[in-house]
Amino acid sequence: MTRRLSILAAIVIVAGFAIYWWLTMPVVIAASALPARTPDLANGRTAFNIGGCASCHATPNQPDRTKLGGGLPLSTPFGAFHVPNISPDPKDGIGGWSEAQFVTAVMEGVSPHGAHFFPAFPYPSYHRARLADIRDMFAYIRTLSPVSGRAPDHDIAFPYNIRRNVGIWKWLFMERRPFADVAGQSPQWNRGAYLVNTLGHCAECHSPRNALGGIIAAQRFAGGPNPEGKGWVPNITQKNLGDWSEKDIAYFLESGLTPDGDSAGGSMASVIKNTAQLSAEDRAAMAVYLKSLPPVDGPPRVRARPSN
Amino acid sequence: MKRIFVTMAAVLLGAGAVFAQQDIVNQRQTEMKNNAKNLGGVLVAMVKGEKPYDQAAVDAALGVLVANAKVLSTQFPDSTKGLRSGDKYSASPKIWENRADFESHLASFAKVVNEAKASVKDLDTLKATVPLIGKQCANCHETYRLKDG
Ligand code: HEC
Ligand code: HEC
Ligand code: HEC
Repeated sequence: MTRRLSILAAIVIVAGFAIYWWLTMPVVIAASALPARTPDLANGRTAFNIGGCASCHATPNQPDRTKLGGGLPLSTPFGAFHVPNISPDPKDGIGGWSEAQFVTAVMEGVSPHGAHFFPAFPYPSYHRARLADIRDMFAYIRTLSPVSGRAPDHDIAFPYNIRRNVGIWKWLFMERRPFADVAGQSPQWNRGAYLVNTLGHCAECHSPRNALGGIIAAQRFAGGPNPEGKGWVPNITQKNLGDWSEKDIAYFLESGLTPDGDSAGGSMASVIKNTAQLSAEDRAAMAVYLKSLPPVDGPPRVRARPSN
Repeated sequence: MKRIFVTMAAVLLGAGAVFAQQDIVNQRQTEMKNNAKNLGGVLVAMVKGEKPYDQAAVDAALGVLVANAKVLSTQFPDSTKGLRSGDKYSASPKIWENRADFESHLASFAKVVNEAKASVKDLDTLKATVPLIGKQCANCHETYRLKDG
C-alpha cells in the first residue's frame, strides 16, 4: 500500500513538473520564419520611436537618444531592474545578435540563451506588433553607434527572480492574439489602435495591475497607481479625456502640453520625447483611436497623504 | 502664568511660521497655474488656430511667464520641503536633494522665456517658440513634480 502511494506521489510530482516545464517553455522564432527582404530604415526608425526604446535603453543623463548603452535603474514592487545595453556593440550590446534572436527577444520576451525576459521589458505589448516593423527596427538599430559598457545585474527578490516562472506569468497574462484591423473602422482608426496597443504600449502604464503585475483587462487605459512607485497615472479613456478634442490629444503627443496649458510630467515627459518624433499623421491616428475609447472608471484613488 | 503666555506665544508663532510656509506652497501653485493659463489659454490657443494672433496678448502672456520665472526662484525654500496643498500635484523631495540641478532648470526656464519675449513677432515665430517653452516646463516636471491624483 505505502509502495503504491509513493509511486502515485512520484507520478504526480513528475506530471506536475512536466506541466510546469511545458507551461514555462520559451517560444523561439526560427531564422527560417524570416524570409529575406530589404529593410525599410525609415519605418524602422518610426517603430523605434513609437516603441519608446530610448526611454529605457538610452544611456541616462546625456541628450542623445540613439546611444543605447543602457544602465537606467527601473524600480518596481518586485525589485530594481537595470536596463541592458542594446547598442550594436559586439561585446556589450547586441552587435553579435542575429535578426531571429532580436525578433524573439522583442516579440516573445526570450533571450538567445532561451531564458525568459522579465515583463519590465514591455514585450507583452510588442508581441502583438507586425513582424515587418520589428525587422525594420532591428535594421535601424544596427545603424546606430555602438556603446561599450554593461549595466549591473538586476536586483530582484525571490521568487520573482526565477526566470522560468516568468513562463507562468506569460501564460496567465500575455495576450497571444496578434493585432488585427477592425473591419468597419477607418484605416486611420486602425493605425491609431495599432500604435497605441502594440508598439506604443500605452496600456502598460495607463492601466491598473493585479498583485502579480498583470494588467486588469476590464480597466485597460483607466489609469492607476504608478507602477514605478510614486504618484498616479491618469485615466486616458473618455472618462477623463472627454473634454479633450482629437486636436488636443495630437498636440499633447507632439508638445506635452495639455489643453489647459499644463505640461506632462513624470514618465510621460519621456514618452512625449518619443511621440514628438512621429509624423503628424501617426499622432492624429492615435488621437482618433483614444477619442473612441468608451469611458471606464479607474480604481479608487488612495487619498494623498496629509502634509507632514 | 507668564511662562504659559510665553509658551503660548511661542506655539502660536511656530504655527504662524508653518502657515506662512503653507502660503508659499499655495502661492507657487497659483503661479504654476498662471503659467499654464498663459501658455495654454493664450499662446497654445493661437498656435492651434483657436484664437487669432494678437501681439499685445502674446507680449502680456510672455510677460507673466518672465515674471513667474523670477518669483519662482524664491518659492522653494528648504522650509517647504514635505509641505503640500491640494491633492493633484506636489513638489518632489528631489528638489531639495539636487538643489543645484533644480536651480539650473529654473535658470534655463527664465532664459527661454526672456528670449521668447524678445523674439516672438508673428504666428510663425510663435509656433516655433511655444514647443521650446513647453519643453522647459516638461523637463522640470519630469523629475521634480509628482502627480498624486
Ligand atoms: C520600460 C522600459 C523598457 C522599454 C520601453 C524597452 N525595454 Fe528593452 N529591456 C528592458 C529591460 C528591463 C530589459 C531586461 C529584461 C530582463 O533582463 O529580463 C530589456 C531587455 C531588452 C533586450 C535584451 C537585451 C539583452 O542583452 O539581453 C532587448 C534586445 C531589448 N530590450 C530591446 C528593446 C527594444 C527594441 C525596445 C523598443 C521597441 C525596448 N527594448 C524597449 C526595458 C525596456
Ligand atoms: C512610462 C509610463 C507611461 C507610458 C508608456 C505612457 N504614459 Fe501617458 N502618462 C503617464 C503619466 C505618469 C502621466 C501623468 C503625467 C503628469 O504627471 O503630468 C501620463 C499622462 C498622459 C496623458 C494626459 C492625461 C491627463 O489627464 O492630463 C495622456 C493623454 C497620455 N498620458 C497618453 C498616453 C499615450 C497615448 C501613450 C502611448 C503612446 C502613453 N500615454 C504612454 C505615463 C505613461
Ligand atoms: C524649475 C521647475 C519648473 C518649471 C520650469 C515649471 N514648473 Fe510647473 N511645477 C513645478 C513643481 C515643482 C510643481 C509642484 C509644486 C507644488 O505642488 O508645490 C509644479 C506644478 C505645476 C502645476 C500644478 C499646479 C497645481 O497645484 O495644480 C502646473 C499647472 C504647472 N506646474 C505648470 C507649469 C507650466 C505651464 C510651466 C512652463 C510654462 C511650468 N509649470 C514650469 C516645477 C516647475
